[in-house]
Amino acid sequence: MPGNRTMKSRTAAVVLAFCATLAAGCSDSGGSSGTGGKVVLRYTWWGNPDRAARTEQAVSLFEKKHPGIQVQTSFAGYDAYKQKLATQAAGGDAPDVMQLDYRMIDQYASGGVLLDLGRRAALRTDDIDAGLLATGVVDGKQYAVPQGRGTETVVYDAKQWKAAGVTPPAKGWTWDEWADAMRALAKKSGKPGATDPGQSEDAFEVWLRGQGKALYTKDRGLGFTADDLARWWTFTDGLRREGAVSPAEQTTQLDGSVENTPLGRGKAVSDFNWDAPSSGYLALVPEGLTLAPMPSGADGTPGQYFKPSMFMGAAADTGHPDQAAQLIDFMLNDPEAAAVLGATRGIPVNESIRRDLTPDLKDFDKTVADFQSSLEGSLNAPPQAPPSGDNALQTTFQRDYDQVSFERMSPREAARNYVTEAKAELRS
Amino acid sequence: MTTTTDLPAGRARTRTATSKQPKRQREGAAWVFLSPWVLGAAVLTLLPMAVSLYLSFTDYDLFSAPHWVGLRNYTQMFTEDPRYWRSVGTTLTYVVIAVPLQLGLALVVALALKNMKRGKGFYRSAFYAPSLLGASMSVALVWRAIFNDGGTVDHLLGTGGWVNRPGWALLAVALLTVWQFGAPMVIFLAGLQQIPGELYEAAQVDGASRWRQFLSITVPMLSPVIFFNLVLQTIQAFQVFTPAFAVSAGKGGPADSTLFYTLYLYDRGFVASHMGYASAMAWVLLLVIGAVTAVLFRTSRSWVFYASEGDR
Repeated sequence: MPGNRTMKSRTAAVVLAFCATLAAGCSDSGGSSGTGGKVVLRYTWWGNPDRAARTEQAVSLFEKKHPGIQVQTSFAGYDAYKQKLATQAAGGDAPDVMQLDYRMIDQYASGGVLLDLGRRAALRTDDIDAGLLATGVVDGKQYAVPQGRGTETVVYDAKQWKAAGVTPPAKGWTWDEWADAMRALAKKSGKPGATDPGQSEDAFEVWLRGQGKALYTKDRGLGFTADDLARWWTFTDGLRREGAVSPAEQTTQLDGSVENTPLGRGKAVSDFNWDAPSSGYLALVPEGLTLAPMPSGADGTPGQYFKPSMFMGAAADTGHPDQAAQLIDFMLNDPEAAAVLGATRGIPVNESIRRDLTPDLKDFDKTVADFQSSLEGSLNAPPQAPPSGDNALQTTFQRDYDQVSFERMSPREAARNYVTEAKAELRS
Repeated sequence: MTTTTDLPAGRARTRTATSKQPKRQREGAAWVFLSPWVLGAAVLTLLPMAVSLYLSFTDYDLFSAPHWVGLRNYTQMFTEDPRYWRSVGTTLTYVVIAVPLQLGLALVVALALKNMKRGKGFYRSAFYAPSLLGASMSVALVWRAIFNDGGTVDHLLGTGGWVNRPGWALLAVALLTVWQFGAPMVIFLAGLQQIPGELYEAAQVDGASRWRQFLSITVPMLSPVIFFNLVLQTIQAFQVFTPAFAVSAGKGGPADSTLFYTLYLYDRGFVASHMGYASAMAWVLLLVIGAVTAVLFRTSRSWVFYASEGDR
């Protein structure tokens, strides 16, 4: 009976997850078995089609250099990837090599999902900045290696911005100046100036840091109060009511892919995003795509920071730890791979590759590199890696803001809700 | 279960009088033949259920070992979690909207097809096809595109997107279910064809109107089939997952308006990694479905008419 199937598969999933953790896998290790004498590695990552094309190219280079290894890749948008990886990891079926976010490392490392890469000779890390490398360390072990450096940005359609006759964004502009620009854009172009940033925990973090505060305290508690969040949501909700940022119906469709953003759909002039993935807008906004620094606090305190944009890690129960390390090494340290990959995952972390690569960067890669060098030396230090509960809290943040933008709760009520949920999540 | 195992054995005894095998040996053979089913039931159903029952009393994040917390998951669910009750409300609303609409449509179409002379097979397949396709993820995704802003419905009706507005998203999901009325329709059609034609002829002689015939002959004669469909579709509606997951991109949004019970269960288990809580939710769902089914069976005594009862 079809009705029973969901129930059964759900219980089956539970039991699979259960025995996988207790017995370290009822099935074979991570599903990686050889075909035709070749070692097969599964490599998963999130990103846009541009990144997909370049990754495939790099992977086939790797296969050419290592004829004994075959790499099966798969990718998805960030939200879908996050859910799928969590399910795979829980089922003891994590891919051999996986792309990880800053926010995933703590959870997966402490859950025993990740391989200690520090002990793999095939992976060279000498050329990586020590401070950046340390962001992949949990409890003294190198569970993940940063792959690129990224920072947040105001990505905008300069053509439309200019056509509206509004002063373009400049370094050091404040949140108030940003809000005024949004109002002016909406008035003159007839469409919202930006995606409503109220749903974005990342944008909120930048705003918070501009006031000298942080998302999390050193001891992994919440670094802000319900009042702080209520002020942020009152600010963004007000702009939404004025039509200066996107309406709730548009905002609620955000899922981490650029295609579903108002800017990508041609329904807004700008957006907040991380710099490297902004290349995805190029296909949708063919002309005039430009990057600008994030707004800063009223006294000029910058909220944005350089963050390891993403990491590579390997599954603790992979059947081929050495080959997995070889693949990671190739993606990080091989000059030919670097030439193909460019800045699609942020500016490379390998110092010598960065030096060699930067002058040769073209198109949007060059835009990202120039953007980052314009910020060099003017930003505050990054926060420590977020605690594991944060992974679920990003979604909670977005959902609670939905209640505000659909006018079902006041910013104050929703903020109080969020803080209660977050405290419970961080405790457990 | 015992009746199915006894029956063939009993028949074997009467037919093959030569059988001198001891009873135990025959039982052994029965167990051998039953073993695939027994193994399947034990490994794929009973064991997971037992594990999930155990997990429902624990705090389990999928990565580290489960930690016993007694009834905390259950008390938290009933007393401290507004989203839990929101998911209950959403699911009940959905059941109340989708099931009657779907069964009503299935019955109307079955009645229309019943007396059709030509092309019956074609229409039957055409109406049944959505039931085969509808459960799939891809159709649900197409549904999302149709009801999104800029989608077909937006163009035809000018109502904007449905799936991105809290007041409309649930209706979009319900319509996806209603559209899959083919399975109950086929069962209704079979039931309708069982009703003896003489009953209608006699009623026509007595001058009964079509509506009267429907109420006094079709409905009572069809009541066992209506009951069967009602129970089946209600149970399915309580467990709906795929359409809600796809239409809301896995989040139950906008603003929790499509946060179905099963979707919230998935969210707790696989997104927030609270597998113990999710297991507790699954058990409450099982008990509720059991209770609703029991209530349906009880009320059925007063309105379901079995032709065989008249003979007794």
